Amino acid sequence: MGLRGFIFRKIVAACLTIVAIVCVNFAIFRMAPGDPIRMMFRDPRVSAENLQLMKEKFGLDKPLSGQFVAYVKGLTRGDLGLSFSHRRPVLEVIAEKIPPTLLLVITALVIAVFLGVVLGALAGWRSGTRFDTFILTASLTMYSIPTFALGIIFLLIFAYHIAIFPLGGIVTPASGFEGFELVRDVLWHMFLPAISIVIWYVGEYVLLTRSSMIDVMGQEYITTARAKGLKNFRILKRHALRNALLPVVTITGVNLGFAVAGVIEAETVFSWPGVGRLVYDAVSKRDYPLLQGVFLLFAFSVVTANLIIDLIYGYIDPRIKVRS
Amino acid sequence: MRRLSNQTEKLKLFFKLLFSHRMGLSGFSIILLFVFVSVFAPLLATDDPSRSGEFENILLSPSSQFWFGTDDLARDVWSQILYGARVSLTVGFIAAFITVVTGTLVGLVAGYYGKLVEELLMRIVDFFMMLPELPLMIVLAAVLGPSMWNIIFVVSLVSWPTTARVVRSQVLSLKERPFVEASRCIGAGNVKLMFGEILPNVVPLMFAQAVIMITEAIYAEAVLSFLGLGDPTSISWGMMLHFAFESGVMARALWWVMPPIFSIVALIVSFSLLGTAISDILEPGYKEQKGY
Amino acid sequence: MVGRKNKHTALVVCLMGICILVLTFSGNVLAKSKKARLSVGFTTEEALANLQTGEAWQYTEMGAVFWPLVYDQLWILGPPPNYDPLPMLATRWETEDFQTWRFYLQKNAKFHDGKPVKAADVAFTLWYLPKSDPSWDFPDNDIESKKLIKVIDDYTIEFTLVNKWPGKYPPASWMPILPEHIWKPHKRKLTRFKNEKAIGSGPFKLKKFKGGEYIWMVKNEDYWGEKPYVDEVVFKSFGGQDALNLALKKGEVEFIGYNGASPLSVEDFKKTKNVDVAVSPGIELVWIAFNLHKKTAIQDKVVRQAIMYGVNRDRIIKMVYLGYAKPADSFIYPELPEHNPNLPQYDYNPDVAKKMLNDAGYVDKDGDGIRNDPKTGQDIVLEFLVPSDWPQEVKMAKLIREQVKDIGIEVKMKVVDLDTYYEFIYTPTDDKFDLSISAEEPGPNGSWIWEFVRSFEGGGKGWNQSYYNNPKFDEFLESYLTETDSAKRKEFAYKLQEIIAEDLPCALLVRPDLIGPYRTDKLEGHVETMGGFSNWINSWSYFKIKPKE
Repeated sequence: MGLRGFIFRKIVAACLTIVAIVCVNFAIFRMAPGDPIRMMFRDPRVSAENLQLMKEKFGLDKPLSGQFVAYVKGLTRGDLGLSFSHRRPVLEVIAEKIPPTLLLVITALVIAVFLGVVLGALAGWRSGTRFDTFILTASLTMYSIPTFALGIIFLLIFAYHIAIFPLGGIVTPASGFEGFELVRDVLWHMFLPAISIVIWYVGEYVLLTRSSMIDVMGQEYITTARAKGLKNFRILKRHALRNALLPVVTITGVNLGFAVAGVIEAETVFSWPGVGRLVYDAVSKRDYPLLQGVFLLFAFSVVTANLIIDLIYGYIDPRIKVRS
Repeated sequence: MRRLSNQTEKLKLFFKLLFSHRMGLSGFSIILLFVFVSVFAPLLATDDPSRSGEFENILLSPSSQFWFGTDDLARDVWSQILYGARVSLTVGFIAAFITVVTGTLVGLVAGYYGKLVEELLMRIVDFFMMLPELPLMIVLAAVLGPSMWNIIFVVSLVSWPTTARVVRSQVLSLKERPFVEASRCIGAGNVKLMFGEILPNVVPLMFAQAVIMITEAIYAEAVLSFLGLGDPTSISWGMMLHFAFESGVMARALWWVMPPIFSIVALIVSFSLLGTAISDILEPGYKEQKGY
Repeated sequence: MVGRKNKHTALVVCLMGICILVLTFSGNVLAKSKKARLSVGFTTEEALANLQTGEAWQYTEMGAVFWPLVYDQLWILGPPPNYDPLPMLATRWETEDFQTWRFYLQKNAKFHDGKPVKAADVAFTLWYLPKSDPSWDFPDNDIESKKLIKVIDDYTIEFTLVNKWPGKYPPASWMPILPEHIWKPHKRKLTRFKNEKAIGSGPFKLKKFKGGEYIWMVKNEDYWGEKPYVDEVVFKSFGGQDALNLALKKGEVEFIGYNGASPLSVEDFKKTKNVDVAVSPGIELVWIAFNLHKKTAIQDKVVRQAIMYGVNRDRIIKMVYLGYAKPADSFIYPELPEHNPNLPQYDYNPDVAKKMLNDAGYVDKDGDGIRNDPKTGQDIVLEFLVPSDWPQEVKMAKLIREQVKDIGIEVKMKVVDLDTYYEFIYTPTDDKFDLSISAEEPGPNGSWIWEFVRSFEGGGKGWNQSYYNNPKFDEFLESYLTETDSAKRKEFAYKLQEIIAEDLPCALLVRPDLIGPYRTDKLEGHVETMGGFSNWINSWSYFKIKPKE
């Protein structure tokens, strides 16, 4: 089968998953209590005739199967429905919030992976030493603090009591900043939420890289290489790290689910105007169409990212290429 | 894997190893402390945290009367922490239990029977693992309504696939072991083999998973409650943070914010330490290394 | 050895990099501007979500605060004490029968793009705006056909309503006049037009809009009327009350744009330098709606009255609002002339409550502490419906439950999410609750609030939460709404309030105050009405505020 077969299978699996997600998404929200039209027009003074008109307009008077078809048709057109709280198409609302989230997540992820892998590799290499125990305990603790709790602590300390960072948001309102000043403003606002996410991630990546490193180090070919007398660092680089990184790459895919969690929490606490914060707002306002749209977006991104990771993994792992 | 003849002997050995493991010991002790606190909450509490207090006592800083101060409804924070432990531990244990039992069953059946059954079950598992956890939990909790049981349900629903996958891997390797072959030769049926031979060897893995799942469940309850999806009439650490965040006076009432955060972190850390210890102990060669 | 050194260098470089980053960003210097700027804070992102029209938008932050600054209305609600209707885009209006109205417009009003404001724009707005959204079904803008709107000349317009609209206020309240030349292409789908430039004819112009974060407005130098005294107005959104409070203390905002601050923060604000707190009577009224359809003891007026005697309003005001609320006894605010001063007051008196119940036969027969309904013999257990999204009302409901328990009636809390709450409360015939908390903001010109107690047959379906069915009351209500003589209207108003206070389908509880912290160092001239400085009946602060000398 080889590489091509592997790629094909993975893509098909991803597509099927997306189809299943769409169905699940539809089903979950039909379970929601309350009448969706009532929710859109929460004012009771809407007359019964008007409600019926609205029902027809949104196709909610059709049977469930008809509604599902309409929903899927809408999806292909990019119509994710109307957000109750924003009174605008859901896709529009979400699209605006994607860039800030991407900025935050990518920055945090890059920093965390770099720090996590470096520290984890070092700890694994020096397994059993005091350095290792220290890193291990520190990582366990960092990994155990829910991001929102950490965010609250940072907010209280660095934005309230020692006010060196802003209270939230992405820019200073109506500042008139342009160019470099604007970039600086955004970075200043991004610092605390990014750090909150990074800490949890570093904890996790350290633990992963470390244990993966320990596993690999126990393998025989390392002892062989050592016996051959190669210098320590070269051994690390050439043999151990490469193999230790394989599970890390896989886990990154699985962890995208956690990335989402961290982002939702950090954005909520720091009012970062991204998709994560949308979740919190949609929940508090019971804005089901928006929640549904955001969920679809997250699921879709995770599936796609997983697919990419799987493909990369397929590329790196020599065993897959050989299989035929 | 050599089976120790006596179950109690196995257990005793396990605890011996656990208590000599530094992390295991500290983790276990902290957990025990929280369990103690939650069981004896009514005795240790200085106030009834469910009834709103007197007007003059709103948002008081810690004092000899209110050890951790009061919240915006004049309720004693110390007592809330004690009763909150019950919620965290209950949700944690029950959700973990459901998760591990379901996941183990699925993994056992899939790994053992293989072929179509395995393919089907693993496809379902894969599908669940693709879904982003927190958004799914949020969506379900929002739709189902605010209640502790909904949170338990939602957490279990999202977590069982991981256990299933892990158990299945182990079952796959166990399936081919000589002692299983031996039993089959004697004429043991499928169910007897699954539950009689394979399952006992999966049990240690189940424990390791259970501990991980408990931490996930405690964390999930905290986040979901913080986001406002928990039961507003119940007292949980996450709910305390939710009300504090929404109250507009969070910055002034650190005594209301810090205790729940520390409690959540302490509980999760202790289970993580326990988990690390357990996975170390389960490492082949560990007990030999320690001289047993 | 080589490896270790490399790793160490890498770490040091990272740390240095972080230090440099932190130093670069610490301290944010905003260019010192010579302009007089009024910054106002809002607590959520949705507050500043978009510039579009939409459902019930006059009660949203945008509708209430932004639109009246950038768009003119025909007339505007004046400041207290009288809340008289004042001319805005319309210089005067006249009517003979209260059904056909003629408005005369300003002659020199211009939209922000320079085009003049004409009667055609008003006609366009009058016809298309109410039709654009089903919840805009108000009698004061209900016009049957386009032909009934007549553009007499460029500055005169006449229209005929479906029903008469007598009373103090002219029709077409809160109607921002839209420029026809911009909105015409979207006339079939007004609510979908993004309105990115927000061209109106009002005293402020939109400079920049960043949805969910801030709105930047500047003074309209070409305004036809009295120009504002500040150069800029900026609306800023914050992620929560905490952030907003801190921003106010630091000077980043001057006051809060909608809803005010929590009572818990009053002391803190009072202690802050350059910050003062204005406590205004609120617009919101909170009451208990009794479900008169469900066949329980609630159907007996004596039980309802006894419950109200058992409710301790003072304690509720103290515990839930920290004292910042007033007891309420009527749908009409006490400071208005139509308020009936002689209504039965249900002052807290549990002994009277107990006696009333005992005398009426509601005694505890089985000794479990709960009174028994003589008709069924069962304990009286009532379901109390409250939405989980209203934290103060939840607190209040808990207190009421405790108090009613003390007079021997068991109350079970039914806390549901907001949508379920609305579903249940507007269909009392489904019997999903016995009593419920309800709250509305009628405002000085809110005669629609009486629809809440009009019988179903009389047209109250969809409004009437208690299934109150009193044909006599309906008659009085009709008379009140159609009476054109103000003295006779007052009499009818008195009667309406009396009947409701006696029958108690809705038992008014409290009127929460609006707590408005504001800065005193840079600006002055805040105008306070019911509901504070900035709400859907008050844009005056924005028009009148000016820099301190």
